[in-house]
Amino acid sequence: MPLFTARVLANQEVAHDYYQLDFSWISDAPRPVPGQFLTVRVGSSGVPLLRRPFAFSDAAGERASMIYWRRGDATRAIAGYQPGDAIDVMGPLGVAFPEPTDGAVPVLIAGGVGVGPILFLANALAARAPYPILLIGARSAQGLPRVRVDGRVQLRTATDDGSAGYAGTVIDLLDRTLDITAGDVELYLCGPNPMLRAGHDLAARHGIPAWVSMEQTMGCAVGACMGCAIHLTGVERYARVCTEGPVFRSTDVDWERL
Amino acid sequence: MIALRPVIGGRELANVVGVASGTFGYGSEYERHLDLSGIGALYTKAVTMHPRPGNDVPRIVETPAGLLNSIGLANVGRERFVVEKLPGFASMPCAVIANVAADFPEEYAEVVAYLDANDPTGALWGYEINVSCPNVKAGGVALGSNASEVERTTRLVRTATDRPLIVKLTPNVTDITQIARAAEAGGADAVSCINTVVGMVIDTARRRPVLPAGTGGLSGPAILPIGVAAVYRVSRAVSIPVIGMGGIMTTDDAIQYLMAGASAIQVGTANFVDPRIATRMAAEIERFAIDAGVDSIEGFHSLLEPSG
Ligand SMILES: Cc1cc2nc3c(=O)[nH]c(=O)nc-3n(C[C@H](O)[C@H](O)[C@H](O)COP(=O)(O)OP(=O)(O)OC[C@H]3O[C@@H](n4cnc5c(N)ncnc54)[C@H](O)[C@@H]3O)c2cc1C
Ligand SMILES: Cc1cc2nc3c(=O)[nH]c(=O)nc-3n(C[C@H](O)[C@H](O)[C@H](O)COP(=O)(O)O)c2cc1C
Ligand code: FES
Repeated sequence: MPLFTARVLANQEVAHDYYQLDFSWISDAPRPVPGQFLTVRVGSSGVPLLRRPFAFSDAAGERASMIYWRRGDATRAIAGYQPGDAIDVMGPLGVAFPEPTDGAVPVLIAGGVGVGPILFLANALAARAPYPILLIGARSAQGLPRVRVDGRVQLRTATDDGSAGYAGTVIDLLDRTLDITAGDVELYLCGPNPMLRAGHDLAARHGIPAWVSMEQTMGCAVGACMGCAIHLTGVERYARVCTEGPVFRSTDVDWERL
Repeated sequence: MIALRPVIGGRELANVVGVASGTFGYGSEYERHLDLSGIGALYTKAVTMHPRPGNDVPRIVETPAGLLNSIGLANVGRERFVVEKLPGFASMPCAVIANVAADFPEEYAEVVAYLDANDPTGALWGYEINVSCPNVKAGGVALGSNASEVERTTRLVRTATDRPLIVKLTPNVTDITQIARAAEAGGADAVSCINTVVGMVIDTARRRPVLPAGTGGLSGPAILPIGVAAVYRVSRAVSIPVIGMGGIMTTDDAIQYLMAGASAIQVGTANFVDPRIATRMAAEIERFAIDAGVDSIEGFHSLLEPSG
């Protein structure tokens, strides 16, 4: 849980109301891996009060990135950061996406704020075959992020209004993709809960494993406050998203009680 | 170097700043990354007779300058507490005080007796009896707003341990001084106040409270003046030390409590914003004391000019 002051390196709009923040990462902090997140303290007054969690969208050397949706007080403030500004960051936190089983084609599905961690994973998995298939969904073309994707990743997009890529939801696109993908497949999803749930249902129907990155409002982000619980299907009933997640096996999540 | 060392039940704490129950876990979550030796006392997450899974989710929602929570005393229970948490406390570089919750008076005493019996080496510095949780059906605020029940609970726990005994009060009462006096009469070595303030946030689009339980407990800067006033009144009503908390984010906030009559303070929600804050505050309070010519905790109390 290293806590330090980073410097903003760049802060650019990558889609309508979505930004990518690049910032310095100190070399003696652990290197973030896909699935992990950081928290950012915004401002020094009591509003907004809590640190905000964001997934890493990249990390290499002394540099890390996140992709965020400008939606409320904290993210509006972050959107105003300029290169050189100091930011108070804590991380890397949480568990990483597990490696796909040998030979399985990783199919990665992102929607909304899920783009960052899924992109990070896609670029990491591009290092070896079978290369990942990356599906990104948005409401319309202007919601699709303009981001760096490794050339070995098979990228497909979906928009609800059909203004770019496949016309339909990213889950519809996933359904079609699964129909035409031979061999073992493993799913990785991050995005809004209904999307994750639909992905889980689809995975269950096809009998393939799926990993989901979950969200919950966080207090401490280090496992101390029990604030970020979600329901599980097993005997433990609850898990903390911050330390036992954010990545979970989709069959462990109680989708009826989100 | 002056030493501002609160004395509670005959035992000394290293400094006036503690980390509040439920906001610092069992310390282990922070131990690897922070130097906890600068903290005066670590108050554990509440420990109960049996493990508790906690309340339905979501459990947290931010409010203007505040945090509304409904954790529901999620914890591993006294047995796993002893096996899994206690060994770590022995090597913790600060005093560890077990926050204890229960459904009824006898059960508080039973949990404390169990912890005492299973901690022969004294890893636990003392106990903080939580008769003030707003997020549970039994025990909690229901018990803590009844003076005679608070007195009875305190007396029962008192017979179960010789270690320092702190009773943690709720602000959700008509007259907090009455409850504080009851705790004193029952044999408490100190009272701490305040626990969270009952609050509700409604999601107007979904037309229901954000927290499934309906209400939760409000903490953070929004409740600072409520806590300061409580400490001011309680410290004038009892002769045992008062530990102040509620909304402390800055050293100045902490000094408000000390001037109001607190002998020690606790930092809660602020740990979520900056886990290093308690250690830093302890050092800054010492510096303030030197500058103000204060060489004891009572010295802080007398800094406050009489009002009116
Ligand atoms: C593990 C994890 C990873 C995340 N990764 C990303 C990411 O990569 N990009 C991104 O844009 N967003 C991400 N989020 C969501 C992000 O935390 C919220 O968008 C952000 O907190 C909004 O803050 P705000 O003040 O701008 O908006 P607000 O108006 O305050 O809140 C909007 C919504 O954000 C969520 N939120 C608010 N406070 C918190 C909090 N303390 N903890 C968690 N969620 C909160 C709630 O759902 C709330 O309804 C992630 C959340 C989690 C839990
Ligand atoms: C998430 C959370 C969990 C808490 N859990 C407990 C608890 O288990 N026992 C207890 O006595 N108080 C508990 N409290 C109350 C705090 O110890 C403290 O009294 C209160 O939050 C006010 O201080 P603050 O404004 O500095 O947070 C909890 C508070 C929060 C925010
Ligand atoms: S946010 Fe505190 S336990 Fe996860």
